Amino acid sequence: MTRGTILRRTIATPLILSALLVAIAVLAFAVGSRPFNQTVIDLFLMVIFVVGLQVFVGNSGVISFGHIAFACLGGYVAAWTTIKPVLKSAAMPGLPDWLMGLEIPFWAAAIAGALWAALWAGLFGAILMRLSGIAASIATFAMLAMVNAIYSNWTSVTAATSSVVGIPILRTTWPYLAAAVIAIFIAWAYAISRHGLALRAARDEPTAAAASGVNIPRARFIAFVLSGAVMGMGGALYAHSIGLVTPDTYYLGLTFTTLSMLVVGGMGSLSGAVLGVVILSALIQGLRWLEAGVQIGNSTFALPGGVQEIGLGVVMILILMFRPAGIMGNSELSLPRRRRGGAENPGQTGPNT
Amino acid sequence: MSLLALSNVSVRYGRLTAVRNVAFTLAEGELLFITGPNGAGKSSLLRAIAGVTPPAGGRIDFADHDITGRAPEDIARLGISMVPEGRDVFGSLSIEENLMVGTGMHARTRGWRARAATELEAVYATFPILKDRRHTQAGLLSGGQQQMLVIGRALMTHPRLVAIDEPSLGLAPNITDQVYERLIALRAERKLTLLIVEQSSTRAMLAGGRMMLMRGGEILLDGDARALGQSEAMQAAYFGYGEQ
Amino acid sequence: MASLLQVLFDALSLGSLYALGALGIALIFGVMRLVNFAHGDVIAFSLFALLWPSTDAVAIVFAGNLPWFLLIPFTLAIGAGLSVLSELVVFRRFRRANPATMMIASFALGFVIRYFLLMLFTSRPKSIALLPALSQPVEILGARIPLLQLITILVTLAVLIGLTLFLRRTRFGLEMRAAAENFTMARMLGVRANRVIMGAFALSGALAAASALILGSQTGTANIMMGANVMLMAFIATVIGGMGSLAGAVLAGFLLGAIATVMQVILPPDARAFRDAFVYGAVILVLIFRPQGLLSARGAKERV
Repeated sequence: MTRGTILRRTIATPLILSALLVAIAVLAFAVGSRPFNQTVIDLFLMVIFVVGLQVFVGNSGVISFGHIAFACLGGYVAAWTTIKPVLKSAAMPGLPDWLMGLEIPFWAAAIAGALWAALWAGLFGAILMRLSGIAASIATFAMLAMVNAIYSNWTSVTAATSSVVGIPILRTTWPYLAAAVIAIFIAWAYAISRHGLALRAARDEPTAAAASGVNIPRARFIAFVLSGAVMGMGGALYAHSIGLVTPDTYYLGLTFTTLSMLVVGGMGSLSGAVLGVVILSALIQGLRWLEAGVQIGNSTFALPGGVQEIGLGVVMILILMFRPAGIMGNSELSLPRRRRGGAENPGQTGPNT
Repeated sequence: MSLLALSNVSVRYGRLTAVRNVAFTLAEGELLFITGPNGAGKSSLLRAIAGVTPPAGGRIDFADHDITGRAPEDIARLGISMVPEGRDVFGSLSIEENLMVGTGMHARTRGWRARAATELEAVYATFPILKDRRHTQAGLLSGGQQQMLVIGRALMTHPRLVAIDEPSLGLAPNITDQVYERLIALRAERKLTLLIVEQSSTRAMLAGGRMMLMRGGEILLDGDARALGQSEAMQAAYFGYGEQ
Repeated sequence: MASLLQVLFDALSLGSLYALGALGIALIFGVMRLVNFAHGDVIAFSLFALLWPSTDAVAIVFAGNLPWFLLIPFTLAIGAGLSVLSELVVFRRFRRANPATMMIASFALGFVIRYFLLMLFTSRPKSIALLPALSQPVEILGARIPLLQLITILVTLAVLIGLTLFLRRTRFGLEMRAAAENFTMARMLGVRANRVIMGAFALSGALAAASALILGSQTGTANIMMGANVMLMAFIATVIGGMGSLAGAVLAGFLLGAIATVMQVILPPDARAFRDAFVYGAVILVLIFRPQGLLSARGAKERV
């Protein structure tokens, strides 16, 4: 198969997924309610995170518990570069002068966040990608804890565990939509690239791929850096969606949510990542709504706080039990194709072996 | 009355079929060699009997029990002792500990400790070298000693059927001779039923008994080891001559 | 001399905590290749089980008021019970799953336990006074060592000796060691898989509860996140110790405690807050040179 045919056969996937997100954004615009708008923004942010995670986890098969660390790096870049200098000097007096005076638009902060995260992903990746399997997963977890420990204690540039406020808040859905679509196209482009194909081949048949001369650590490294960049971008935008950052915003809670979305949707599939976000966001929203309380007749019925996470955990365990490859398995959403040769595997992002 | 009976047994790993519709019976006290080239499905067949890889189809009966798809520990407790390929000794355990692992299966019956002790002495009598080094870590033994250990370990549970995968693998010929000598003697002594997998038919021809030839997941020939070993049919079937 | 002794005791007591955690992780990893991300939450659960559900900042101590000779077995039983329950309800259904799938499932289970606690107790840390008699210092060779530290070390030693005896002298221990080394072979020798795994979970849960008692008495607070740090260090210790090797896990646990304590001493005051970050960094560096761990267990290859 030539590059051109792969491109033509798989381009439908990112287009469909983007169309789905655009439809959701248009719906939010039409409804015009503030809370719903915020929900949709959250959904787009999760798409960025989960797709970013999928670039590495999905292609390499190595579970990462540490990617939210890159979101943390990106989020603080947004704080460093977009807060008004007056506020900045009060909250984070240790910043260098050139950074202190800087005040850039959100999109530039998102790009800077992506680059900063990619830089660190490169440094960590150079070390972590030598490990494999479970040891690698544990090391990613250590990386998350390490970044969290540093950002929670480095008072002069991160204000430690207190909230850094004053990040300009973006309440319109469009920038988040654009970023989510960009993330989807990055993930797709990587998946069909030579490295992406090689990495998935290695995931499915480690011995065969090793024998075929694929440099697996290198391919993994590239996926790691790329996914780190996407996470960094998401982290910066996340900061803009709530207007503040704390280290614990980007810690175990977000790790759990993103990982559960990826698992439920299907780690091996880009469509799975996006659908997992959409489905679980709906579930989370429903549970939040119940936690807030529902009026039934004269009495208010409310679930205690924490039910949302418990529900998420239970769904995740059940999916792992009964459908470990997730809703989508290894397949992708695609347009029904006209019969041409073997069509028994419609819409694979590429050959699986 | 047969001790072990297989009918239509198939073993699959994903899309790969390793054993295809195999059927045979084994009588109490019989000595059966299964030979065949690499990848014939011999080991897969043993793993299916032991319950490690449950068969994808067919039925396995042992001593009037349907053991198809049963857990390995249940099958072991019914009296099948398996010595897998590659001599899986517990390397960090001592020789004596290795031997004792399996005796726990009789812990519900009275006097099992005394019986285990007798059994241990019997194994030591058969393989004196194990007694000399009883507190040595099993991982430090030579290949031949490890082979004796795993055979001894299989005997400790007082099985009715011992299935051994490639006892000669990686051993010097004179050590293999020793191992076989002991096995044949044990069979006579304890009225054991033996199922031995070997790649080549030479051992089977030396030891006598019954021999089956497997290739491509199927049993092609079944008969007396000495007669079969010398036949042209054996040669042809082993290497697959005349099949194009 | 006195301060050196103090550092030694600090290192040993911190190492004890990590070693207990690492042992709890390695026991389960050994028999079923599960990296149990719920371990930290079993620790938290065991401590919260001593309290009455409330949203106050000061805990309403309930079972925690028991005398120590009842309190300790009660807590250990809670930890073991929760751990066995998690095996029965969740992990038993993952026997044929690959290690990565099991790992994520345990991560999810940990969250379920944590948010169950949050539901009952809120996320606010609670101050508790467990075994208050232990906070007095004792004098040893001129150094004032908190009694608790001494007891932590002694308890850990007792646990280690007890566990060693159990594993070496009992039939169940022998079966467990055999199963940890080669699970399939052990089953082919009639070792009952489910019993061994359940035993490993029970032991691991009891170890988690022991960690909970030590942590609770040391910090004087109960926090639903309290297990996370110990668990992470325990993971690291099991990786360094060579996944699945119990002795390796214990040694690595003490090693981590020593590194952390030494860093606390030698780092400039400004950098002390980053102690754990330095420890993680050091560990990642160790892994570059010995990706298979310092003491890799023979025959405990990772099933890919």
